[in-house]
Amino acid sequence: MAKGFTLWFTGLSGSGKSTLAERLRDTLLERGMKVEVLDGDIVRQNLSKGLGFSKEDRDTNIRRIGFVCHLLTRNDVVVIGAAISPYKAIRDENRKLIGRFVEVYCKCDIETLKGRDPKGLYEKALRGEIKNFTGVSDPYEAPENPEVIVDTASEDADASVNKILLTLEQLGYIPADDGRGYSEEEEEGIKERLRDLGYI
Amino acid sequence: MKRLVVIGLDCLTPQWALEAWLEDMPNLKRLAEGGVAGRLRSTIPPITVPAWTAMMTSQDPGMLGVYGFRNRSSYEYDSLQVANASAIKARTVWNYLSRNRLKSLVMGIPQTYPPKPLNGIMVSGFMTPSKEATFTYPEGVQELLDQAAGGEYVIDVKDFRTEDKAALLESVKKMTAARFRAFRALLRTDDFDFAMMVEMGPDRLHHGFWRFCDPTHRLYEEGNPFADVLHDYYVELDEEIGKTAEAAGDGASLMVVSDHGAKAMEGAICINEWLQEAGYLKLKERPAERTRLTADMIDWPNTKAWGEGGYYGRLFLNVSGREPDGCIPPGAYESVRDEVKAGLEALGDEEGKSIGTRIFRPEEVYREINNIPPDLIVYFGDLDWRSAGSVGVGSVHLRENDTGPDDANHLPDGVFVWDPGAAMRELLRRQERYQIYDVAPSILKFFGVGVPDDMIGQPII
Repeated sequence: MAKGFTLWFTGLSGSGKSTLAERLRDTLLERGMKVEVLDGDIVRQNLSKGLGFSKEDRDTNIRRIGFVCHLLTRNDVVVIGAAISPYKAIRDENRKLIGRFVEVYCKCDIETLKGRDPKGLYEKALRGEIKNFTGVSDPYEAPENPEVIVDTASEDADASVNKILLTLEQLGYIPADDGRGYSEEEEEGIKERLRDLGYI
Repeated sequence: MKRLVVIGLDCLTPQWALEAWLEDMPNLKRLAEGGVAGRLRSTIPPITVPAWTAMMTSQDPGMLGVYGFRNRSSYEYDSLQVANASAIKARTVWNYLSRNRLKSLVMGIPQTYPPKPLNGIMVSGFMTPSKEATFTYPEGVQELLDQAAGGEYVIDVKDFRTEDKAALLESVKKMTAARFRAFRALLRTDDFDFAMMVEMGPDRLHHGFWRFCDPTHRLYEEGNPFADVLHDYYVELDEEIGKTAEAAGDGASLMVVSDHGAKAMEGAICINEWLQEAGYLKLKERPAERTRLTADMIDWPNTKAWGEGGYYGRLFLNVSGREPDGCIPPGAYESVRDEVKAGLEALGDEEGKSIGTRIFRPEEVYREINNIPPDLIVYFGDLDWRSAGSVGVGSVHLRENDTGPDDANHLPDGVFVWDPGAAMRELLRRQERYQIYDVAPSILKFFGVGVPDDMIGQPII
């Protein structure tokens, strides 16, 4: 049975993609899965080094990430992609290539993002120091039918992580944490054994 | 590659393993001399469940919400449920190691059924219902266990209450040998960073054979045929430790731990007989013979307290607005609890001589209280006596266990022996007694994994 899939986070800068990607990575590693994260910021330092932020370069970057996700997914690895990936057409290309693809839209309003501005980029973009900044001077095409929407302006990270995990369980990509106790018969058997052993 | 192998031996007791018999256990002695050896203070109560889980999570029973094998799931009278792995919400050592891409082999640790996924292999412990259940992760591992064991992999001995002591001894020894063989065989199948097994044999033999082996036990008979059973078993365990060290490979670090120790037991205090005599418990009808107490036997509107048997005692109060037919007004809870506590503390042996009973209020010994604890935790005679829950006994004192032969109770100290390897020996915190909560942080620190803030123990390196 295929175990690999791609969990693709898309959303504006500062919307929580990397944070949630790391949390999901740790949780799925704990559950014994092979997991890798392809984070846009890190990928741009190696795999996509030298690429800029023109549409053409952005498309190339996302296609490269998608290509690696595809290779890992077919080898039973859970891959978490976390990049702005602003263009719907390229995201859909990756979905078609990879197949086992779960899109998570990190939705967050621009005012909240400007307030957060974790890397100081919105401030620079608004001053015109950074050109082609998604959400300010470059477009972002929100997904129309993502598998999960997490509104990171209103949900805390725990709630978002749990929503994503539940969706993955419901879609059959990860086994559900059944949390089962003993059946009545099993419980009686165990109690009898514990009595025999003197524990109760 | 760092590797740490932990051999857990349930109930291995320090007065023998670290003192009287250490010279006869050269492998354990070598570890102790190379690293550290000391007593390991267990949980309150010092019982297999929750002690092993507390060890592996560095959380106390209150934080875990698990106070023993059975816990109240509600304030209904008949709500005691056995706590399996699903009851554990805290992260274990192997959860943290998995998060850090380290691979674990975990075998036989109590309270690990049903098995949860991890990076590695899990074989659930003795509270597995049977070998027909799915008790390993991945599932396919259980098909390999009998072969890995070189015979039958035994989850736990059957027929522990048999009077045929020779048969009991044989079955425990076979179980122990099979588990060690299976552990070593699985250890060789992959590059596990962390590997841990727990063997229940020492506990089973202590409870079954103490009277034959401890000259201070009141029932000891000089020259009995089983006088050396426990000593010889400890020597065999040491041989298994040696073989496992070899299988672990050069450079692997070895740790030997137990969740609590053992000591001679005087007898049982029939807690519910005392509660009846003291006017706290009323039965609808006095039984004609010794009977296990069940909820339907109790006249609840006229009962203030009832107790449960086990190696330690648990006391529950019948509180108005809390229990369905509670009769203690909430405002009187503390005064009634104090009164019962004082009465139990004053209870002596058959001649009225003090037995030194210790009693704990859960909120005084745990950092948090989750789920439903007993109202009082009772160490009769500081665990020289066990608690018996039966009624119709005709006496408060019983010089035998109400559920079968059992001559030993638990000592609150287990064993901790660890050699972390040449590079870390200088970092060891050397002391005579460690806390059970120190083990998990030590394991994480060994692997360079950050120790989470909610672990209450301190690393020993």
